Amino acid sequence: MRDPTFAVLGLFDSAQALVDAIPPVKSAGLGALEAYTPYPIHGIDPKLGFRRSPLGGMVFVMGVLGAVTALFFEWWMSAIDYPTLIGGKALFSWQAFVPVMFEVTVLFATFTAGLGMLMLLNKLPLFGHPMLAARSMTGITRDRFALGIEGDGERLLDVDACTAVLTAAGAVEVEVVPALVNPGWTATFATRSIFGIVVACLVSGVGMYWGIKLFHVLPPMVHMQEQPKLMPFEPSTFFADGRGMQPPAPGSVARGHLPYTFKALEDALSLPNPLPATDKVLARGKKEYGEHCTVCHGALGDGVTTLTAAYGAKPANFHTQTLREYTDGKLYHTIVVGKNAMPSYAVDLTEEERWSVVHYIRALQRAQNARPEDVP
Amino acid sequence: MSQLSKVKTLIALAVLGAAGVGGTFAVEGAQRFWANWLVWFLFIATIGLGSLFIVALEHLVGARWSVPIRRVPERLASLVLLAIPVGVIALGALPALYPWAHEGAQLSAKVTAKLVWLNVPFFSGRAIGCLLLWAVAWLFFVRGSLRQDTSHDHRFTIRAKRFAPLYMFLFALSVTLLAFDWVSALEPEWYSDIFGVYIFAGSFLGALAASVLCVLGLKDRRRLDGVRADHVYNLGGFLFAFTVFWSYIGFAQYMLMWYANMPEEVYWYKARIEGPWMVLFLTMGVCHFIIPFFALVPRDAKSDPKRLRFVATLMLAAHLFDLYWLVFPSVAKTPLLGWPELSFAAFFLGVAGLWLHRAFKSGRDMPVGDPFLAEGLEFHL
Repeated sequence: MRDPTFAVLGLFDSAQALVDAIPPVKSAGLGALEAYTPYPIHGIDPKLGFRRSPLGGMVFVMGVLGAVTALFFEWWMSAIDYPTLIGGKALFSWQAFVPVMFEVTVLFATFTAGLGMLMLLNKLPLFGHPMLAARSMTGITRDRFALGIEGDGERLLDVDACTAVLTAAGAVEVEVVPALVNPGWTATFATRSIFGIVVACLVSGVGMYWGIKLFHVLPPMVHMQEQPKLMPFEPSTFFADGRGMQPPAPGSVARGHLPYTFKALEDALSLPNPLPATDKVLARGKKEYGEHCTVCHGALGDGVTTLTAAYGAKPANFHTQTLREYTDGKLYHTIVVGKNAMPSYAVDLTEEERWSVVHYIRALQRAQNARPEDVP
Repeated sequence: MSQLSKVKTLIALAVLGAAGVGGTFAVEGAQRFWANWLVWFLFIATIGLGSLFIVALEHLVGARWSVPIRRVPERLASLVLLAIPVGVIALGALPALYPWAHEGAQLSAKVTAKLVWLNVPFFSGRAIGCLLLWAVAWLFFVRGSLRQDTSHDHRFTIRAKRFAPLYMFLFALSVTLLAFDWVSALEPEWYSDIFGVYIFAGSFLGALAASVLCVLGLKDRRRLDGVRADHVYNLGGFLFAFTVFWSYIGFAQYMLMWYANMPEEVYWYKARIEGPWMVLFLTMGVCHFIIPFFALVPRDAKSDPKRLRFVATLMLAAHLFDLYWLVFPSVAKTPLLGWPELSFAAFFLGVAGLWLHRAFKSGRDMPVGDPFLAEGLEFHL
């Protein structure tokens, strides 16, 4: 059977009176104790018999977890997954990671504190609380201190005994707070909820519109857009020649693209492949071949692809006798300067990538012209 | 230990230290002598200043909870008076430690441009001005408070409240001057805008640690009856919060300089984190932040006398260590720790101990004339 009474409240005039009343009421053992006060009274929890709140421990654990998470993500992103050198610093630069670790620690800790307190420990969303209907609630929010005896879920509250104990402990007034019969959907609650949601939508909608459409065109925010800056492919007054994008200084060399000094094929013929044919090099050659060469020369290197059929071009078939007798240097030279309809790939491939592709073409040729001893 | 034997021990410590201090000058040379002297001048001045700041802060914000324990920082603040002779003598360090004060030193263009500010007469004027300002503030806040014990004149409380904002402004200015002049100027090319705040954080933290130790000590001797765990908890909370503040400021300064990597800034850190200094740097981080932070995180720790004593002692040591780490790399390639440093420690601990021993006899243990004392004793968390 449901307990028709939520609590019996004893009202006191001062915090001290409330604290003094706790031991006798507690020793009567009529139910669980709870205090309702206008401001928090530190140190009252153990007197009421509360266990220490687990919130502090939760916040600590989540804070540490936040720091570790941030450190892990930063390490993984900037040192492993997408290594980027910034200002010549080491990939794993803990100094740069500390601010983010600090912020994420605070984020995890505050969210745990706020949501844990409201949702886990205070059981929000709660549709209503019996105490909100208590007559003495207005006094409790002002200058009254209430000690409540509440049901502990096992037996019904003995209202008369509770009243007697509270009065004996010095309560100036006693109130019996009935349990909420149905603290759920009522017409008023539904109307208010819907009204609240509509208002929230309106406010946030107007706010969003203002923030997205208007905020950044108001001074001083608009100065962010109006500042002088370089735009790609746009003229600019920053430089004397009026160009926004400046050509590289004469004689500059792009990383990984050392100038190729062999103009004539004869000079390049005897170039040796500087890379060893390791698995790593072959894998790289396969990748680059797949991205740049397959479209015309085909995945097998036989020069047959849909593109050749569509356009009538005749890319080289690497398995012909002529092509098989090409030196590594000749293949390399062809990649760099191009041949017939084939353009130069000097810009697309770095030196190492070109030599890797040469290795891979050799592997393709070997695969199509296997000797008996190649068969396992 | 009886009062008399305690005084005797302190005197013995000071005399023994004084012999070592003199010996340092004769044997190890002027530079090491003055570097040690400067560290201890800064230690005494920052603890005194931080204590005066705690007192002024209470008047500024009208705090009531701290009224019963205010006499402790007030007495510790008398160190700013001890700092006057120590500081005036420390002016002798100028030619030995500060490159711009050398006769005929080779200075870079960056430093010569600063000579308008960094010259011996102006420097001495600023230093003495600051020392006098703190002495005046001490006279106002502490002497006034001691007089109130007998007069019970509430007008002092009102005057202190009015003077506190002005003092805070002058304090911020003078503590920045202390940091820039006495510490930054050791390496005149280097500059850091936040350095004054860094020294302030260390000084407030050091003063808090000293106050915590004294409050707990007086409580044990039943001289602060009425001061409860709630008051101690607040002190512990302050100690905890400002541990983080110090680290925040220290790290902010370090990270920006590390990031920008500009030669005129970064060489200062390079001298302080390279080679054996790295060990000191890390030890300081552990003792000044990591241990105190985790020791004070739990709620009960902030009013646990045993825990607080440990953290406060560690914090005072770390503050001294911090000053050592700021000053010594300017004069030595490797950390120096030998009989000269130990005798300086003995000398100054003895002198400051005697000074405070006298100060802790002045007036009553609580500001009994303060109209808010009763309210402060009533303080509940």
